[in-house]
Amino acid sequence: MIGRNNTRKIVLLGVLVIFMLTLMNYTRFGRIGVSPMETALKDLFAPVQGLVMNLGHRLRGLVSFPFALVNMADENQLMRKRITELEGRLRQYGELQSENERLKKLLDFKTVVAPVMGYDLAAASVIGREPGNWFGIITINKGAGDGLKPNMVVVNDQGLIGRITSVSSHTAEVLLITDPRSGVAALIQENRAPGMVEGVASSPGRVRMVHVPIGTQVNKGQVVVTSGFGSLYPKGIPVGQVMEADREPSGLFMSAMILPFVDFNRLEEVMVITGTRSPQGEAKTAQLPYPWGEGKTDLRGRSPGAIRANERYGVAGR
Amino acid sequence: MRFYILVLMIIIALLIQVTLLNFISIWGVKPDLVLIIVTFDAFLRGSREGALIGFLGGLFEDLAVGSYIGMNALSMMAAGYLAGLTESRLYKESSLIVAFLVWVSSFTAQLINYILLSMMEVYIAPGVAFFNVIMPTAAYTALLALLFYRRFLRSNNKGLLYTDKI
Repeated sequence: MIGRNNTRKIVLLGVLVIFMLTLMNYTRFGRIGVSPMETALKDLFAPVQGLVMNLGHRLRGLVSFPFALVNMADENQLMRKRITELEGRLRQYGELQSENERLKKLLDFKTVVAPVMGYDLAAASVIGREPGNWFGIITINKGAGDGLKPNMVVVNDQGLIGRITSVSSHTAEVLLITDPRSGVAALIQENRAPGMVEGVASSPGRVRMVHVPIGTQVNKGQVVVTSGFGSLYPKGIPVGQVMEADREPSGLFMSAMILPFVDFNRLEEVMVITGTRSPQGEAKTAQLPYPWGEGKTDLRGRSPGAIRANERYGVAGR
Repeated sequence: MRFYILVLMIIIALLIQVTLLNFISIWGVKPDLVLIIVTFDAFLRGSREGALIGFLGGLFEDLAVGSYIGMNALSMMAAGYLAGLTESRLYKESSLIVAFLVWVSSFTAQLINYILLSMMEVYIAPGVAFFNVIMPTAAYTALLALLFYRRFLRSNNKGLLYTDKI
């Protein structure tokens, strides 16, 4: 028999579960406002998060070393081939300071690509990521105090990253395009076939383009860009390249796996589009480096679309 | 005192989880440090404390995410409670047993999260949820638990976490 004490406990547990479910429903994804307590907590932790993240970047090599050992044998052979190739390149370019170059690329992006595309940009650093594995959310170190608002689009020199979902005074949460709740109206650049780019849970390296009209020629390597439908994402932001295409189970549409241009595991600095103006004409847009324009490059890992420091736009980054 | 130290440990674990753990994520999956602490505590102190610490740890995670507040609180409370049920039934000195327990806790918590997300109309294909998130998270978390359990046990028996209260 259930005692009086146990009945009380069960009732209390029931009340707690109902309260938490109501709270979950109230705080479900899509709300714009953030409660004062959440704002206070986020702002309180932002500086600490920034410091720890900075430490993380410095310790990256040390921490990831044991995991790198697992694939060491395969990588070793590949590396030997590459060393010869890279030595040649190293003689040409000298030693590159990676952080310096990354920042220069962003600066170039801001001064070369952004004016042509008509973007006003604000730079921000990534200070945190969602603690779980279900979603793709990052926290950046700029917020409402810096003029950021929900639904502003976030990019870097490689392409589309996501959009802001909520802001506190000094931080903002960015929903990555790899999050399963994200949907981006997009089209295949070559044949203008429309579709919707969705995230896949826990797959930071892949997104899926669905609802592509049947009969569309979808080939590996085709570039996918935002279509501008729905007015949330400006038109023409590079999303990724088609890896493989298949017919959807319904048989009415096709879907394609897309390899994003952005390396979501290595996000450190991002740009928020705070305003848009009319682009400066197709001719200038075409001169921009790939994938923003028509410059030629097809190798991942060599920063597709990145404009190397001191390089004039219109010259492909080879 | 023990309670405050545990809360501090959870906050530090969460801070590491949203920052440093991204650098050791494998195939996009990172371990759940908060759940490790919850399971250790539940295993050593019983289901009552396990549920309480699980609820608090989950609530902190929810506040860090900012949406669906209560989801992790409920799932970790259940995981902590379940782990606590084994308190007097399993051998406490074995790291392997605890790693298995962490695996079960993580699996349970992730499964509850999946069900709650479905209730909130966030549809994720079962195959993707199971093979991309639930299984790898549970395995990675359990592996990491092996590294920390002896230290936690020592602290529980004669260190900062020691208490004579039952």
